[in-house]
Amino acid sequence: MLSQPTSKLARTVVRAVAGLLPAALVATAVAQEDEVITIGITQNNVGIDSYQTTYEQAFIEAANNNPEVEAIVLDAQGDVEKQINQMRDLIQQDVDAIIIWPTQGKAVVPVVRQAERAGIPVIVTNSQIAEEGQQFIASFSGPDNITQGIYSAEIMCDRFTEMGIEDEAVIVQIAGMPGYTTAIERAQGFEERLPEVCPNVELIETQPGDWNREKSQTVMETFLTKYDDIDGVYSGDDNMGVGALNAAKAAGRADEIIFVGATNFAVGYEAMGRGEYWGSIYQSPVEDARNALRTAVAVVKGEDVPKSNYFDTPKITQENMDQYTKPVF
Amino acid sequence: MPSSDDSSGELTSGTRRAAAQPPRASGPPEAGPDPVHQQSQEALHEAEEAVVAGGIGARFRALLGLDSPDFSWTKVLAKQGILLAFVIAMVGFSLASDRFLSFDNFSSVLRQSSIIGIMALGVTIVVISGNLDLSVGSMLSFATILVVDLHDKIGPAPAMAVALVAALACGAINGTLVGVLRLNSLIVTLGMLSAIQGFTLIYSGGQNADITNQSDTWFAFFGRGEIAGIAVPILLFLGLAIILEWVLHGTTFGRRIFAIGSKASAAEYSGINRVKTVFFSYLISAFCVWCAAVVMGSRVMGSQNTVGKGYELLVLAAIIVGGASLLGGSGKISKTVIGVLLLGFIQNGLLLLGFSYWTQWLVTWVVIIVAVWLDVGARRGRLLSPYA
Repeated sequence: MLSQPTSKLARTVVRAVAGLLPAALVATAVAQEDEVITIGITQNNVGIDSYQTTYEQAFIEAANNNPEVEAIVLDAQGDVEKQINQMRDLIQQDVDAIIIWPTQGKAVVPVVRQAERAGIPVIVTNSQIAEEGQQFIASFSGPDNITQGIYSAEIMCDRFTEMGIEDEAVIVQIAGMPGYTTAIERAQGFEERLPEVCPNVELIETQPGDWNREKSQTVMETFLTKYDDIDGVYSGDDNMGVGALNAAKAAGRADEIIFVGATNFAVGYEAMGRGEYWGSIYQSPVEDARNALRTAVAVVKGEDVPKSNYFDTPKITQENMDQYTKPVF
Repeated sequence: MPSSDDSSGELTSGTRRAAAQPPRASGPPEAGPDPVHQQSQEALHEAEEAVVAGGIGARFRALLGLDSPDFSWTKVLAKQGILLAFVIAMVGFSLASDRFLSFDNFSSVLRQSSIIGIMALGVTIVVISGNLDLSVGSMLSFATILVVDLHDKIGPAPAMAVALVAALACGAINGTLVGVLRLNSLIVTLGMLSAIQGFTLIYSGGQNADITNQSDTWFAFFGRGEIAGIAVPILLFLGLAIILEWVLHGTTFGRRIFAIGSKASAAEYSGINRVKTVFFSYLISAFCVWCAAVVMGSRVMGSQNTVGKGYELLVLAAIIVGGASLLGGSGKISKTVIGVLLLGFIQNGLLLLGFSYWTQWLVTWVVIIVAVWLDVGARRGRLLSPYA
């Protein structure tokens, strides 16, 4: 279940140190083999969750497997200030492209602009930067959270229709961390799509679960106290969804509730296998990382890249889960 | 350094029995309780005597200190404000929501509060001794990840043992740095908050841990079990509260904690082993975190790397609301329990009424600020003036 952290950590450290080498040194290296594309990446917070950890491993692997690419892998550890400094370092080193996983959508805009001024294309990965920064980026590579929300609404509605309760079902939502773009977009996609496909299903209440399973369990316990009839729970990811499932099981009401999440986690996948959890959205951090690298390489080579280069996040339910392997996170 | 038993007993029991017997002349003057403290202790003692003498009316008057010679409503508010706030909140929520006042809801709030509560008990002791422990949030993440991850690998009991050793090791580091080296506890434990979180991430490689077979393990007992219809986390919380209340008020160790928190130098002059006492206070805090981690792991049957992130502030909030002074020397386990429950019921009540999360943040903030204000007001003897 757990990876070998030491080797991964060592590699990251080596690369992080390499990233701090004086710009001149790197410039010489690039001049000697000019077919090599140097791509710098500054990540949000590796190690904070399995997704970001797997993302980094996949990114390093993809970069190692691509002989054209020399990657400088950095991690901002969730610190905006640190990320801005890392961006400046990468600009200083005159890399061919910078991939950024924003720690904060607004605060990084000025430094992204600085990179664009220096002629270095910036690719945003996984989480969007703020609207005013869009003009400075070459492309966004990542999952489409709004589409994920939309798909979740469709999964929920399809299931209610199968059960014949699409005209009377009431549901609650447990959203992600307030203020987090991913949380907002997943809620938005769901809330907009649901009335279109199932106009009579009522979303009676939304509360944040802060991406935390224990918090989500607490919120769900209160929902169960408050409402005698809940037919469905939509949660911002499976981690929170399983927290809600725990609460419903403890209250003996899990059988009457359809659980749908917006990102499939291993715990959600297992609960689906046990028939307790209905469906989710399959988002692979490996595909996320590879897509970011592909996008960056394409941008450097001058290929035509769409401004939003999404990777596919298919629906997964108890019915089709055998087509997918268990998520690594 | 002379043997501490006699003099420390004298010093601190002097604080407690001030009204009953005059302080002994032989005691070092600077070791005596400060006058304000002593005065309030006297009032408290008179109140206790009144309780013994009379019925419910007297009990009520004693609780509010109505018979005290220097009676003022400010003091009542300051002393029992937390209790009043608790009663007002409970009555308000009961009137506003018909779901609030039910056995199931109470039981579920108590269960939810027990994790924060168990941690708060240990930190209360650290706070009374005049120090802080901010590392408990990360320690909770670490111990929970350990116990959950090792559960499937080496079995529940060994996993719990390893987590206990790890938690106590963290506590021992805190205790050594603050107790032996006398470093500032705020800085030490803030640093440990980061360090332990980092260590947790290295251990887990950033992966979440989960218990695979959730229905067949006796480990489920701690978070999901019941004894006589009462959830085990609640019993653990209240059981620990009773034990620690006894430790604080019924043992020499407890009196030393108060003595060091009131005036560390005076306590040392009177022969109290400050190093040992501070060290053990951090071990108690770590032990409580371990108990909370076992409940958390068992309740959730899985753990995120950052599951305890921010809990240190919730714990501190509950303690502050409970009226323990962050400067040390005062505080009560029972009031911390009420502080924990007040915050728990407020969150639950606002959720039941359908208020959004920012309202909960706002209300929590207001409650904490008012609690601190009342506390300071009590020291100054007036609420609306910056001067004593």
